[in-house]
Amino acid sequence: MKNQLRVLRAQREWSQADLAERLGISRQSVNAIETGKYDPSLPLAFKLARVFDTTIESIFSDQP
Amino acid sequence: MPKQKLTPAVRNYILRFFTAMTLYALFLIGAVWAFPRYHPAGLLAYLLAILPAIPIMAVIGIVALYVTEEQDEFQRSLLVRALLWGIGLTLAATTAWGFLEVFSLAPHLDLYLVFPLFCVFAGAANGVVRLTYR
Repeated sequence: MKNQLRVLRAQREWSQADLAERLGISRQSVNAIETGKYDPSLPLAFKLARVFDTTIESIFSDQP
Repeated sequence: MPKQKLTPAVRNYILRFFTAMTLYALFLIGAVWAFPRYHPAGLLAYLLAILPAIPIMAVIGIVALYVTEEQDEFQRSLLVRALLWGIGLTLAATTAWGFLEVFSLAPHLDLYLVFPLFCVFAGAANGVVRLTYR
């Protein structure tokens, strides 16, 4: 699944570690989600959307 | 590289694991020491012999507790994958070894070695699974 996490992080000048701390997960987990190697659960996707103050659809896309 | 903080679940796991392993060492040393000296019989002998297995069984529960307590779902999924590989490889290896034993092609494998074997397989699988996410 494609995502906009890197862009959203860059806009806020957050490192992966910063985002990980906000989400209460490890930096490796953020990296795995960001690189599309791991698709988060719905609760974590909602958490991500809240952290970036946006919607899940604007972060994740199942379109190639 | 920033130092990774341990999650509360990992801290609990480490504390519980080392407590269980300390008890295992004490119980094992106690059983090995007591058997030849006191020659226990009947129920007492069974209880003494099974004593070192109890912390090992506790470790299985401790790993299960960690899986339920870990809030980081990605880390949880990595561990579950490693455990499944560990279980699969242990079952495959011990089944193959068993048939080799039946046909006298391998020495007897004591069953108490199955758990350490599982730990080796699961540990190796944990490393490989994590490497795939680098």
